[in-house]
Amino acid sequence: MAFEYELPDVGEGVAEGEIVAWHVAPGDHVDEDEVLADVETDKAIVDLPSPVAGTIRELHAEEGDVVEVGGVVVTIDVDDEASEQPEDASEPDESTTAAESSEPALKGADGETPVPEGRVFAPPNVRRLARELGVDITAVDGSGPSGRITEGDVRSAAEAEEPERKSAVTKRSDAGDKKSAVTKRSDTPDGDRKSAVTKRTTAGGTDSSASAEDHAESADRDRTVAVPAARKLAAEHGVDIDGVPTEKSRDGEPFVEVEDIEAYVETRQRAEPATEPSETTTAAGTPATAAEARPVSREPYQGIRRTIGDQLQAASSEIPHATHHDTAVVDELVATRERLNERADERLTYLPFVLQAVVAALDRHPVMNTELDEDAAEIKYKEYYNIGIATATEAGLMVPVVEDVDAKRLPELSAEISELIERARSREISREEMQGGTFTVTNFGAVGGEYATPIINRPETAILGVGELRQRPVVDDAGEVVPAQTLPLSLSIDHRVIDGAEAAQFTNTVIEYLETPSLLLLE
Amino acid sequence: MVVGDVTTGTDVLVIGGGPGGYVATIRAGQLDLDVTLVEMDAYGGACLNRGCIPSKALISATDLAHTAGAAEEMGVYADPAVDMQGMISWKDKLVRRLTNGVESLCERAGANLIEGRAEFDDTHRARIVKSGDGQGSESVEFEHAVVATGSKPIEIPNFEFDGDRILSSEHALALETVPMSLLVVGGGYIGMELATVYQKLGCDVTVIEQLQDALPGYEADVTEVVRERAEELGVDFRFGRTAKNWEGTGDGLILRTENEDDEREEFTGEKCLVAVGRRPVTETLNLDAVDIETEDGFIATDDRARTSLEHVFAVGDVAGEPMLAHTAFKEGEVAAEVIAGEPAALDSQAVPAAVFTDPEIGTVGMTADEASEAGYDPVVGQMPLRASGRALTLNEPEGFVRVVADSETGFILGAQIVGPDASELVAELAVAIELGATLEDVGATIHIHPTLGEAVHEAIKGARQESIHY
Amino acid sequence: MSGSTQLTLVQAVRDGLAGEMDRDEDVIVMGEDVGENGGVFRATQGLIEEFPDRVIDTPLAESGIVGTAVGMAAYGLRPVPEIQFMGFIYPAFDQIVSHAARLRTRSNGRFSCPMVVRAPYGGGIRAPEHHSESTEAFFVHQPGLKVVIPSTPSDTKGLLTAAIRDPDPVIFLEPKLIYRAFREEVPDGSYTVELGEAAVRREGSDVSVYTWGAMTRPTLEAAEELAQEGIDCEVIDLRTLSPLDEAAITDSFRKTGRGVVVHEAPKTGGLAGEIIATIQDEVLLYQEAPITRVTGFDVPFPLYALEDYYMPEPARIKDGIRETVEF
Repeated sequence: MAFEYELPDVGEGVAEGEIVAWHVAPGDHVDEDEVLADVETDKAIVDLPSPVAGTIRELHAEEGDVVEVGGVVVTIDVDDEASEQPEDASEPDESTTAAESSEPALKGADGETPVPEGRVFAPPNVRRLARELGVDITAVDGSGPSGRITEGDVRSAAEAEEPERKSAVTKRSDAGDKKSAVTKRSDTPDGDRKSAVTKRTTAGGTDSSASAEDHAESADRDRTVAVPAARKLAAEHGVDIDGVPTEKSRDGEPFVEVEDIEAYVETRQRAEPATEPSETTTAAGTPATAAEARPVSREPYQGIRRTIGDQLQAASSEIPHATHHDTAVVDELVATRERLNERADERLTYLPFVLQAVVAALDRHPVMNTELDEDAAEIKYKEYYNIGIATATEAGLMVPVVEDVDAKRLPELSAEISELIERARSREISREEMQGGTFTVTNFGAVGGEYATPIINRPETAILGVGELRQRPVVDDAGEVVPAQTLPLSLSIDHRVIDGAEAAQFTNTVIEYLETPSLLLLE
Repeated sequence: MVVGDVTTGTDVLVIGGGPGGYVATIRAGQLDLDVTLVEMDAYGGACLNRGCIPSKALISATDLAHTAGAAEEMGVYADPAVDMQGMISWKDKLVRRLTNGVESLCERAGANLIEGRAEFDDTHRARIVKSGDGQGSESVEFEHAVVATGSKPIEIPNFEFDGDRILSSEHALALETVPMSLLVVGGGYIGMELATVYQKLGCDVTVIEQLQDALPGYEADVTEVVRERAEELGVDFRFGRTAKNWEGTGDGLILRTENEDDEREEFTGEKCLVAVGRRPVTETLNLDAVDIETEDGFIATDDRARTSLEHVFAVGDVAGEPMLAHTAFKEGEVAAEVIAGEPAALDSQAVPAAVFTDPEIGTVGMTADEASEAGYDPVVGQMPLRASGRALTLNEPEGFVRVVADSETGFILGAQIVGPDASELVAELAVAIELGATLEDVGATIHIHPTLGEAVHEAIKGARQESIHY
Repeated sequence: MSGSTQLTLVQAVRDGLAGEMDRDEDVIVMGEDVGENGGVFRATQGLIEEFPDRVIDTPLAESGIVGTAVGMAAYGLRPVPEIQFMGFIYPAFDQIVSHAARLRTRSNGRFSCPMVVRAPYGGGIRAPEHHSESTEAFFVHQPGLKVVIPSTPSDTKGLLTAAIRDPDPVIFLEPKLIYRAFREEVPDGSYTVELGEAAVRREGSDVSVYTWGAMTRPTLEAAEELAQEGIDCEVIDLRTLSPLDEAAITDSFRKTGRGVVVHEAPKTGGLAGEIIATIQDEVLLYQEAPITRVTGFDVPFPLYALEDYYMPEPARIKDGIRETVEF
């Protein structure tokens, strides 16, 4: 009997398919489930298996043709007369729901072998065995007397067939399992756990991919106990609490407190190398999102840069800054330095002179060398002079401090300044060497520029910015405009502690010493 | 009565405790399922209470009386008296015994028994409505359900059963006195069995049948034996008449009929039994609440007894023809087994059937015509009972045993037996068909002599052209 | 014969009562409709025939029922008064709280009150007002009382037996929603399940879910469904609410670091607060997320139409667990 195979509905709203390739030709004999063709739908290429065993009579489409669902693609002369398969092919879904049940026969549950119509010459136990093994008993040849079907016949048939479900189409990429993939934060490296729950490892800031030598001090635990506040702090800092080193324990488990987290954060900040955007591989370092219209590259804002930034933010927001600008005419200073450099072992820059001038001025205007103790509501006058030298490094702004500037002579100062700057730039400088300043000088003039509005280095109350020393027009005593070496000065003050007049007076004094350097010999 | 509705949870809810229901219940219990059986009337259903059992009881009792009183040929002279009330109360007692038996079998199987009427609330929830003491309702949540609500006699227009003039089979099995005359509308097996009973009790019976012969569905030569015997007993047959209406009279009724030529006729009688068939009972179930399909009023089922709701099964008369108690048994078993995950199915090769007339009829499988239509080349062996020694010694020589087989392979395809104990004799052939046995298989088996079973053997041999005794 | 029988929860109650009445002739059963009628839920069916002198049909007077029982208990009997629905227990509250709970301390140990007050509790059965109460917290708050809530037939029989044998008053609340919902193998003969011990119904490693009574089944259902999503829940059935099995609560939390409490009782003042405080006391350091409460709402228990919305069911329980897990 001729079976017309209509292209079945493979689901997912697919309405048609393209015959990509035929695997059979007219005259070929095919077994049930043998693949007839490859059919491409919107979603994928699927196999088209034969629902019947028989001989190919005619192909109704060529390779490359698009056939609609329900259109006849191939006619097959079926081998077996009694087979009910044609019905199955047009109803690939055999599971019954109330809505889907169609007449005449109710299809029953999946996998049930239907009872054949007509007589079957086999005893009840053999018929039951056939159902159990999913064998179509009408297709079994009986070896018993007069062709009766025996148990052995059914078992042989079961082995020969693959008693699988007669589905019309097999997806090549069949997922099979219903289990949905684990979602959310399952990126934990410990691959054994299939849990979707990640123990308090925070997103972003995980250093697991950064170089190991930077984190010689990290711990590597499976679990840590800590109060919720500590966990929160760790999360804020982007720190894995299981990595925070600790000697403490509670309840037999490693225990981490807020102070441990803070200390860990600090060591990491110091130890972190200059970051290039490409090195930092955290979840936070994501490439440009499709949402941005123009190309943008990103760099993490963390470590030294961030620390400096936080400090500057604090200074800027808490201290009412005022800046006083003035210019020193320093032809004499320039000449002096030239003369000295003919003799000195090491070349002097202008900075040592500036420091000496500043210290001399601080001595005359002590209010410039103070700290505001807000808690005690007191202004602390420092009776020592540690001057910080603001230094630009690759990692950001650093301020090494020259201690007791008043006790050091020019060559010594010069040498120390050079050394500190050198060490800052090479990241050899220690934290202690950047603490304890009473006043800061920022020599942006080394790069260029005239005036600026420097931000005070807390907890100091003043900072002196020094611009580029170069020739500029000045008006001399005769009222003539002449070229002269000038050095612009920008003094920012904490206006809670220092008044504008005091700032001006201090600046005048500094200028006095810079314009007449020989006066420093008196200090 | 309890405030609130504490739901009972159960694996299998069986609705109806008749042959389909109680067998499903017991089988489910055997298979370790948690089963709850709900019955609104009496355990055993129509079969036990109003059908099979009462009718066989009356048939046996009346046969006994009748045979004893008609055995002069054998040298026995008797004139038995029949106390109808006594017969009925004996019948009631044995019915009660069986009903209690069913109840205790169900309990022993571990079932939870609830009295009430079950209706669907939802696909997995039913409400059991109670009446009388313990009013109200309770809910049952079920994983699976087996509907076995059975059937009831068809009432034809103008002939509402009143138990007085117009009787259903149920009424006819409970009459305390034998009427003088009885009109039986419907010449099917129920009508014929009861007609025989009452004629033997001395009632003047007239069978009025729409078709041209009694017992449609049986071959003409089978029916002929039974009809002729009934006529010998005094039953009048009127074929081709349809009952239209009736009118009560002082001592009975006048029944009016019409034939296909619109000719009218009137019949008088004391009572009228209407036995034109049975219809399925589904109105108690609230099927609207769930998507269970019906076909001509029956619940549609597949070869696993499943309805269109995968986890709900239907068995017995409510699931359709054949409306026989033993097919209900089988369906109940299969439903329970399928629920328990076994590879059971309704795959019987043949269903035997019997009519308890005089003589009895027993059939199984195909008739010769049916075999031809199915594509076999049938061979037939038919042994007349007048050639059976045992039949003669029983003084019941009317009837025959006919066996139909496939001439090519010898597979036994069917049998029709009319004669004494036909209902028992057919069992052997049912086994043969179920096993896929051949004429040779049964022919090679020694059968006891002298028995009626031997006649079966002879018929088998006859099909092989090897008959000895006829 | 020592075997077991498939029983529903209410059948297990009956079995437990019969067993103890048989073993100890001081055990008395009393309450409304418990005798001739066998109990409105058939929990005491047939007991009056078996023990005609020890099953008492009382008038409709809860304070009287419990008050009488307190007196009986003080003088050596072991009464098991039944309050037909927990919603009717309030007239007896004074007797329970002012006297039953205090007899021992009041008399410096000379008197005690070995009484078990049984009451069907909880909602979900489409009943009118007062028939759906879940106010176990009222009793947990009173020192001197034990509060027991089983969730399975086998636990019910063992816990009831243990409660009857306990020398102090026990409030035994039976989740009537699941009185007949399923059957379980219950050992024949007498046995006890220790009071004050929780049961781990499902082992897991991601989150500890604490529950009891009728909420155990929907919680387990939610846990099974969440397992498909990769969330491995540990489900603890507390069984005794007073005293709480603190060790079981904290041991589990130590393992998982996250918790959810599921109860049908209203949220405020419900026992979820007590459990969470216990966790906070003992194992705060392991906590990784806030503990979610999936409970009834702070409104009087609603009627039919909103009942299913009020009671925690698997979808709402899953949401609560996910909330904690995804913190």
